[in-house]
Amino acid sequence: MLKAALLIASKDLRLTMGRGSGLLQALLLGLLLIFVFSLSLTPGQRMSAQGAAAIFWMASAFCQVLIFSTLYGLEEINGQRQGLVLAPSPAQGVWLGKALAGLCLLVASQTLFLPATIVFLGQEISDLWRLGLAIVIIGDIGIVAIGSLLGALSQGQSARESLLSIVLFPLLAPLFLGGIRIGSAVFSGKLSEGADGWFGIALAFDAIFVASALALFPSVYNAEE
Amino acid sequence: MLLQLRDIARFYGSRLVFKGVSLGVRRQSVTLLAGANGAGKSTLLKIMAGLIRPSAGDILMDDGKEAVSVGFLGHMTFLYPELSAMENLRFWAKLHRLALPLSSFEDMLERVDLSAFAGEKAKSFSRGMAQRLNLARVFLPRPALLLLDEPGTGLDTRSTAILHREIASAKADGAGIVWITHSLEDDIARADTVALLADRRLAFSGSVEDYKRRRGALPTSAIEARPDDVNTRMAGGGEPC
Repeated sequence: MLKAALLIASKDLRLTMGRGSGLLQALLLGLLLIFVFSLSLTPGQRMSAQGAAAIFWMASAFCQVLIFSTLYGLEEINGQRQGLVLAPSPAQGVWLGKALAGLCLLVASQTLFLPATIVFLGQEISDLWRLGLAIVIIGDIGIVAIGSLLGALSQGQSARESLLSIVLFPLLAPLFLGGIRIGSAVFSGKLSEGADGWFGIALAFDAIFVASALALFPSVYNAEE
Repeated sequence: MLLQLRDIARFYGSRLVFKGVSLGVRRQSVTLLAGANGAGKSTLLKIMAGLIRPSAGDILMDDGKEAVSVGFLGHMTFLYPELSAMENLRFWAKLHRLALPLSSFEDMLERVDLSAFAGEKAKSFSRGMAQRLNLARVFLPRPALLLLDEPGTGLDTRSTAILHREIASAKADGAGIVWITHSLEDDIARADTVALLADRRLAFSGSVEDYKRRRGALPTSAIEARPDDVNTRMAGGGEPC
């Protein structure tokens, strides 16, 4: 399964980077969100750390909707989905491959969103940056785990982006809340009481999302019309 | 028996496509599957491939002994337009766990007359070239069961000859082949058995010789490609080409 997943991920990354449009749209949407919110600030004003962290995660959320829409859209052109279903490797290999490709693209996008958040929303990175890095890794794993599952579900739907957003965002709320709380601490340099408890919650949701995706993906990703 | 269908039925919503379809596919054989548009040929082929589930009935592969490798050629090519012909072949081969040397891919492209276009992106291919690359994708892994849905679509005379040669080669290697055709009378010379879908059931299933003996009694809608030609030939008592 791992070999198939790596093969699909490398193919998806190559096609997405080669075509550019899907990733570029996702990046522009995220950066635009950050920039638009920065317009609400008066010159010299800094956004609250919590607000900035919320906007960073909002940009990431919208970005990953477009990423998974693009990744699963690659198999809509010439019916390649049927080919993937017929492959001898377990269907979960497709989920994992798409999730890995999505993770690479999401992390690449976030490396642009973070400096944009710092510059446009007037933030600084404190000594707590390691906590920030940890919550980004944990949060991203959960996002791509459920994003890859729901991306498969919405494939072929005419309103797939809106369908993805409507189903995905409520499910990801615990991860976003944890990300915002820890992100706020990273930007402000103050870790509020109980904030570290969000790591446990985020890890638990990661486990639930991964287990759900592994169990449900074969029934979601099929060739039924 | 390589593939055995028992009493297969399929509904789309409340619409019955067919029912009571029982059919066997042997190794080293070519089965022509024919019927009018909407008779359910493609649906039956997808059921054989495991792409869609039957509403009722059982499917048995290799008498239940082991998993059978399946090559499926449907209405769509499965090709990634942004990948080259070679990259497409290598991706699908790797996905089927085939560790083939470069020469195997080059040889396959040569056989489908695409070696000069190995490095060109599939999006620049004409329909016929894409279909030939699709044939290469399906035949390269040498699957035990080949399911071909109108494989001659978009092919010119020369490419059709390539298709016939590859089918003969796969059969000689022991593959069981199910081939949907709209030119039953043209393709029957390459077949061992014939299956006809009509009136939401399997109207006929048997050897080519049986088919030739009984075709006068078969519903003409089953032989939908050129029913007038067939009737004329039958009236004249001539053999199909």
